[in-house]
Amino acid sequence: MAGGISLAARLLAVLLILVVSVFMLAPLAVVIVSSFSASEFLIFPPRGWSLRWYAEILASRAYLDAAWFSLQLAVVVTILALAIGTPAAIAITRHAVPGAEIISGLFLSPLVIPTILLGTGLLMMFSRYAGGSSFWALVAGHVIVTLPYVVRTVAAVLARADRAAEEAARVMGAPWWRRYWHVVLPQARPGIAAGAFFAFNVSFDEAVIALFLRTPGVETLPLLIYSKLEFSPDPSVAAAATLMILLTIVLMVALDRSVGLDRVAA
Amino acid sequence: MADVVVDGLSKRFGATSALDAVSLSISDGSFVALLGPSGCGKTTFLRLLAGLETPSAGRIRIGGIDVTGLAPERRGLGMMFQSYALFPHMTVAENLRFPLRMRRVGSREEQASRVGEALRLVRLDELGARFPRELSGGQQQRVALARALIADPPVLLLDEPLSNLDAQLRKDMQVELIELHRKIGLTTVLVTHDQDEALSLADVVVLMRAGRIEQIGSPRDIYRRPATIFAARFLGGANVIPVQIARGVATLAPGITVPAPSAPDGAHHLVLRQEDLRLRAARSDQDLAVPAAIVAVAFHGASLRVVVQVGDQRVALQVSADDAATWRAGDLAQLCWRREAAVFL
Repeated sequence: MAGGISLAARLLAVLLILVVSVFMLAPLAVVIVSSFSASEFLIFPPRGWSLRWYAEILASRAYLDAAWFSLQLAVVVTILALAIGTPAAIAITRHAVPGAEIISGLFLSPLVIPTILLGTGLLMMFSRYAGGSSFWALVAGHVIVTLPYVVRTVAAVLARADRAAEEAARVMGAPWWRRYWHVVLPQARPGIAAGAFFAFNVSFDEAVIALFLRTPGVETLPLLIYSKLEFSPDPSVAAAATLMILLTIVLMVALDRSVGLDRVAA
Repeated sequence: MADVVVDGLSKRFGATSALDAVSLSISDGSFVALLGPSGCGKTTFLRLLAGLETPSAGRIRIGGIDVTGLAPERRGLGMMFQSYALFPHMTVAENLRFPLRMRRVGSREEQASRVGEALRLVRLDELGARFPRELSGGQQQRVALARALIADPPVLLLDEPLSNLDAQLRKDMQVELIELHRKIGLTTVLVTHDQDEALSLADVVVLMRAGRIEQIGSPRDIYRRPATIFAARFLGGANVIPVQIARGVATLAPGITVPAPSAPDGAHHLVLRQEDLRLRAARSDQDLAVPAAIVAVAFHGASLRVVVQVGDQRVALQVSADDAATWRAGDLAQLCWRREAAVFL
C-alpha cells in the first residue's frame, strides 16, 4: 500500500505538523529562554545569562506562598473532581440513568461556557449566600471547570472496556460494591489517572476564576505572575512559568509511566 | 450438580419478544446445546438462567430451588462468556481465584491450591503469573473455562465458547470439552449458532427459532428426523423439495415420482440430506431414483459438491471425489437415495 498517499499530501502533512508545532512551542521556548536572563528586564532575546531569577523566586516569600497555595488548591480540586467525576462517568456509561445524555451534557458544559461568565456568577452567588469568597469558593469554581476533563477521560476508558467482565464478576458471586472495587475501578484507572493529570494542571494554571474569587492577601501562582507582568515585569515571571512547565512535564512522565499515555490518549 | 427446569419463560424487550413462553427440562449431568440463528432467543435464554436478565414471565428452578427472583451473584453458577470476560488487570491466577474469593471458599492456601489444580486441568500450569493479554486466544479460552468451573458450580453455562477460535483450535477444544464433561459430569448448557458444535458436544440439542423451541432431541434424532422444514434446512442444509402426495406416490415434477407409502395425501416436502444422495448412470432396484441433469460440479478436496436439476427443482449433493469423478455439467444421470434416507414433512 506504499503509493496510497501521494508524496504531495505527505509533504503537506509534514508542513502542517511543523507549523502547528512552531505555533505551540515557540511561546514556551521564548519563556524558557527568557528565564535564564541576567538582565533586570523581561526582554527577548536576553543580553546575558544567569540563574539569578530562579534564586530570586525560590527565596521570595510571595512566590513561595503563592506556589504553596496553588498546590494545595490544585490537590484539593483534583481529589474532589475525581470523587465527583468518576462515579458520574461510571453512571453515564454503565447504567441507563434517566436523561444520561442531558447529565453528560451538563457535566461537559463548563468546557463551552465562558470562564468569565462562570467567574462572575460564582462571585455573585458566594457574595449573596456565603458572605463572600473563600478558599472553598475557589475550590468550587475549579472543581466545576475541571470536572469535564475527569468525566470525559474516565468515560472514554470505560466505553472501551469489556462490559461482560462486570457480568462475569456478578455471576462469580461479586455484589455491586465488590464489582466496582475489583472490576470497574481498575478498568477505569487509566482514565482516572489522566483525569487527575488534567484536573491538577487546569486548576494549577487557572487565572480567570481565581481572579474573580480571590480573597485579600491570598494569591494563586498564575495570579501572582499576572500581576507581576502588569506592574513590574522582570524575568522572575519567566522563571516561575518555566518551573510550572517543568512540573507539567514531570506529571506527564509520571502519567505515562504509571498507566501509559497511549491508553488514555484515545 | 443439579437439574434445570424452566417453565413458561418469556422475555420481552420493549415491543419485541426475545423469548416466548419456553418450557424446558434439563436433567442433572446432561450437556444441552441451544442452537439457532442469531436472534432466536438462545442467548437471552442463557442470560435468564444466569440471572443477567429478568424474565417477563415464567419460572426457573435449579436443583429444585426456584431462582427466578435471585440475583446472579446468589445463584452460584459458572458461566463462560463469548468474549471470555477475563479481568485484564489481574493475572491468570488472580482471575481464577476471583470466584473463590467472592464466594469465600476455603482459606488463602486452599484457594491457591485449587487455582493450581484448575491450571493443571486446562494445562496452563506455567502461565499463572501471566496477564490475559499475554496469552493466545486458545489459552484465554481455557482460562475462562477454568474460571467458570473453579468454584464447583452446580450448572455450567457456555455462551458461544468456541466462536473466537480458528477452525483447528475449535475442533481440539470440542474434544476437550467433551472429555471434561465426561470427567466431571456437570450439567452444562451451551449456546451456539454452529450446528457442528451443537451436534458434536451435546447429548440434547434444543433447536430454537424466533423465541420458541423448534425441536428437541438427541443430535442423531434432530439431524436424521427433522420435525420441520426449518430444522431440516438449518441442520446440514438439507434439500427441501415441495411434492404432491396422492395414494402413496409423491410427485416432484410432472412425470417424476417416488413412492411415499406412509404419508397422507396433499402438499408436502421431501427432505433429502446432501450426503445421502448419489449419482448413478442407471437406476438400481434397492434405491429410489429420479432423473436429473447435472448443473454444476465443484471440487472440495475429499468430496465434490454437485448441483443437479430435477424437474424445476435444484438439488445439491455431496459425493466422494472418486464417486463423481466422471460427471460433468450437462450430463444426465439418476439421482438415487436409500428409502429410509427420505423424510416427508
